[in-house]
Amino acid sequence: MARALDEWSLMAELARLELDDNEALRLAQEAERMRELFLTMSRADVDSLEPTTHALARENRVRKDVVDSFENIDVLLNASPELEDEFFLIPNVL
Amino acid sequence: MSAHEKYDVFIGLEIHIHLKTVSKMFCSCRAHYGDEPNTNVCPVCLGYPGTLPLLNERAMELGYHVARSLGCRIADRTSFVRKNYFYPDMPKNYQISQFEEPVGVEGLMEADLGDGGVRNIRIHDVHLEEDAGKMIHAGDVTLLDFNRAGYPLLEIVTEPDLRTGEETEAFLRDFQRLVRYLGVSDGNMDEGSMKCDANISINHPGKGLGTKVELKNMNSPRFVRLALNHEVIRHAEIIDAGGSLIQETRLWNENRDITESMRRKEEADDYRYFPEPDLPPFIPDDAFLARVEASMVELPLDKKRRLQAEYGLSPEQAEFIHDDVATLHLFEQTVRTGSSARNVAAWLSSDIRKLLNRENLSLADSPLSAARFSALLKLIEEGRISGKIAKKVLENIFSENSDPESIVEKEGWSQISNPVELALIVDKVIGANPEVAAAVRDGDMKQRGWLMGQVMRASDGKAAPELSGKILDEKLSTIV
Amino acid sequence: MSLISELWSGVLIEPGRREQYTRLVGEIDESIGSFLSFSLENPTGKPAGKGPLNGLPVAVKDNIAVEGRPLTCGSHILENLKAPYTATAVRRLEDAGAVVVGKTNMDEFGMGSSNEHSALGTTVNPWNKDRVPGGSSGGSAAAVAAGLVPLALGSDTGGSVRQPANFCGVYGLKPTYGSISRFGLTAYASSLEVIGALTRDIDLLETAFGVMAARDEKDQSSISADMISEDATHVVMLEVDDEILDAPVADAYKRTEGALKEAGYSVGKVSLPSLEMVVPAYYTIATAEASANLARYNGIRYGHSPDFSENPTELMRMARHEGFGDEVKLRILLGTYVLRSGFQDQYYVKAQKIRTLIRNELAGVFASCDLLLMPVFPTQAFLMGDAGMDDYKQRVADVFTCLANLTGLPALSVPTGIDGGLPTGVQFMAPAFGEKRLFKAARDLTDSFPLQTAPGALDIRSLS
Repeated sequence: MARALDEWSLMAELARLELDDNEALRLAQEAERMRELFLTMSRADVDSLEPTTHALARENRVRKDVVDSFENIDVLLNASPELEDEFFLIPNVL
Repeated sequence: MSAHEKYDVFIGLEIHIHLKTVSKMFCSCRAHYGDEPNTNVCPVCLGYPGTLPLLNERAMELGYHVARSLGCRIADRTSFVRKNYFYPDMPKNYQISQFEEPVGVEGLMEADLGDGGVRNIRIHDVHLEEDAGKMIHAGDVTLLDFNRAGYPLLEIVTEPDLRTGEETEAFLRDFQRLVRYLGVSDGNMDEGSMKCDANISINHPGKGLGTKVELKNMNSPRFVRLALNHEVIRHAEIIDAGGSLIQETRLWNENRDITESMRRKEEADDYRYFPEPDLPPFIPDDAFLARVEASMVELPLDKKRRLQAEYGLSPEQAEFIHDDVATLHLFEQTVRTGSSARNVAAWLSSDIRKLLNRENLSLADSPLSAARFSALLKLIEEGRISGKIAKKVLENIFSENSDPESIVEKEGWSQISNPVELALIVDKVIGANPEVAAAVRDGDMKQRGWLMGQVMRASDGKAAPELSGKILDEKLSTIV
Repeated sequence: MSLISELWSGVLIEPGRREQYTRLVGEIDESIGSFLSFSLENPTGKPAGKGPLNGLPVAVKDNIAVEGRPLTCGSHILENLKAPYTATAVRRLEDAGAVVVGKTNMDEFGMGSSNEHSALGTTVNPWNKDRVPGGSSGGSAAAVAAGLVPLALGSDTGGSVRQPANFCGVYGLKPTYGSISRFGLTAYASSLEVIGALTRDIDLLETAFGVMAARDEKDQSSISADMISEDATHVVMLEVDDEILDAPVADAYKRTEGALKEAGYSVGKVSLPSLEMVVPAYYTIATAEASANLARYNGIRYGHSPDFSENPTELMRMARHEGFGDEVKLRILLGTYVLRSGFQDQYYVKAQKIRTLIRNELAGVFASCDLLLMPVFPTQAFLMGDAGMDDYKQRVADVFTCLANLTGLPALSVPTGIDGGLPTGVQFMAPAFGEKRLFKAARDLTDSFPLQTAPGALDIRSLS
């Protein structure tokens, strides 16, 4: 389990998830169960198939290059946990 | 023995340009520099739950335009991926980019690399992506402005075909000129509409690529040169001493003129690319490709060669005219009205250039249009003003923002070409300088020039030079 | 206009009934917990439109944006967020006269099959309050079953509309992928999910679907297509190992075969060789997409943020630590894992290829039938808490529902009656844009399986 714990901790790191010790253990156990389920896919003989990335995409979709400004920008700014003047605020990158 | 003699050097570039669209890549917010912070934002570019990217057709077109102009194999199907990494200025914490199906691959860009000669630099790929916001560090806090988030970016990746900092700087200047010719980007590194990261490795001759170091934070072509040359020496010293290089990312420190390791303690990047499910793949149709073809223009080096071959410009003139796209356009438009190409080039590279420098103006912002320029040249050709007056007219075009004809009229600068009027002036000059006149009659042609000068002075420079000379000669030969 | 629409049409207009309605919803929902927020006032003050849904109250799952109303997604991390815009599907309903009355509880970000993964409240099954309503659109299913609204919106990523509809004894439609715009639907697994609807009235369901289905300029994965005809005579039943299904579910499945024959359908059998690959492929793709879709919640622009943090990385890590529940964290970890470079071929790409395999198999099935009949879930609504079904078993039990999500095909869960005091049901699947066939089959079964009403449900006729 120690190795699995390390591996899932690395995933937590990549995903910017802080996990406490209990959480880390609980999630690693559950994740291992799912990983084993995922591994059953190795039995499928699908090498010759193309992957499906878009279920039913049929046509090009684009929009014209025109400006259409959002009206309620104040609502967006005021949703911020920390705002200074018109800026979103975070602690400095050290 | 210098590092370059001892080692093979391999330099490749990743160039990002902001595409000139009016709206962002995936939403309809204004794409514009210098606006108040967080005014060009909406739920889409702030990464709100439930929002979806909406591909800007113009950005796609400009991407294909560049790829095509760089001789790339352009994609008959292109698609987007998500590139996953966390950064505070990136609203979704993934960047929509392209990976396996970029708009173009395997291109070539012909570039004049100065001492490195004219060479073809291989282009690995050209792909579209979105920019992040801006972080402003202020003491113990960081301010975030998302106006730039979602700005359309085009990334051009070269193969490691460059060899020196100087070549690379020259390449970048050629590249800037190219995107300005195409009209797809301003290509300004200081304003941030163009960015350049470099990778460099050196190795013993014939051994192929060495350990690659990535260089970032170079905000001008000059800094790119300095950083690369600094790296060549640093690499050579390490290898000379029997050491080995670390594959890493280094930042150019423009205050200290050195590169410094980024030393980010964060884990190795794993971007976990996967197809963007919100955007279907794009398959260009004939109409789209026809529009791309229609937007193709003559590339800078071809242009330069044609300026010499077709217009008879000197290499220096051609270099000057083709360098700046505004100069080039003014040249071409003016020549099209029938003015002599060499004349136009001469004016552009001397008087106009000096005036622009003095006024600290760009041609685009100056009051000199092709119409005014060709009117000015026409006044000279028709003998209505002298070259000397023309310079004054040019000054007034700049200071008054008006047309040459009205300046000439207003100032009364029309050339005197009435023979009777001119004869009176010539008579006056000869009369006032009998000894000189006599000397000319005796064959002292030097003194003839002096007399002509007196004629010009007496007429405030307005005497038509050719006709005045003729009258002067007649007078000097008849009054014996 | 359907009968149910007529019954509801005056409720929100007459002040007396309006007040009575609000009071009754409050009373009934106190013990059910289907709504996270309820208010008859439109926060934008915009007037309602006019159309086939005039005055019809609609409940909306709390992961679908309605301007000015909360958009919590059942999560602490968005507990205080209000939507700054309205989802296209909701806007189209409003334009047709419908009135949003509240936002319903759900498993956090749609991740769960019981509603027990909501961070913001407990919802129980109106048929038996010791049991779960299903999930993740459990609040919407419970609200409809309890008679609080005639129509509710949900979202279906792997069965999240059909399974709770099945647990609560109502209809639940998962439409063709792309037929209804996803603009305004908080993304969990973008390539799999779609907004769906829950109701006790099949005519109303058809009307609502017709109103919502349209190609949308704000969703470039939305598709305009002609609906295929409703003609359906031949149904095939998926062959299912009896021991997989609980007895009442297996029994309902068998009885449906008989009912279909009685209604004039021919019924055949089919097996899907790749069925065992469906769940691992589904969870691989769903978690991969989720890991990216949920990366945006970092406590900077909106949503929960920690009281203190020393640097941006800590800010993000703590916001996510405090804001997300276990199931969400688990799926983010899994999704990160299956997308890692070097592992993609083994997991993510493999799953996408299995997706192709399954699409091909189903294309083969639909070449020789009009509709595919399947169970919805192996059990009826299970008990809440530890006495219920463990999370792993719940995930594996998605096998029958996530088939429609992997293939993009439409599916409808249809109630078949009550067994042991709990609803049973089946689901039909159709070829792409074959929703009309689904509605027809459901209608054709109403004689055999008349809809039952949950005890204590609000009877709109009782309002005077």
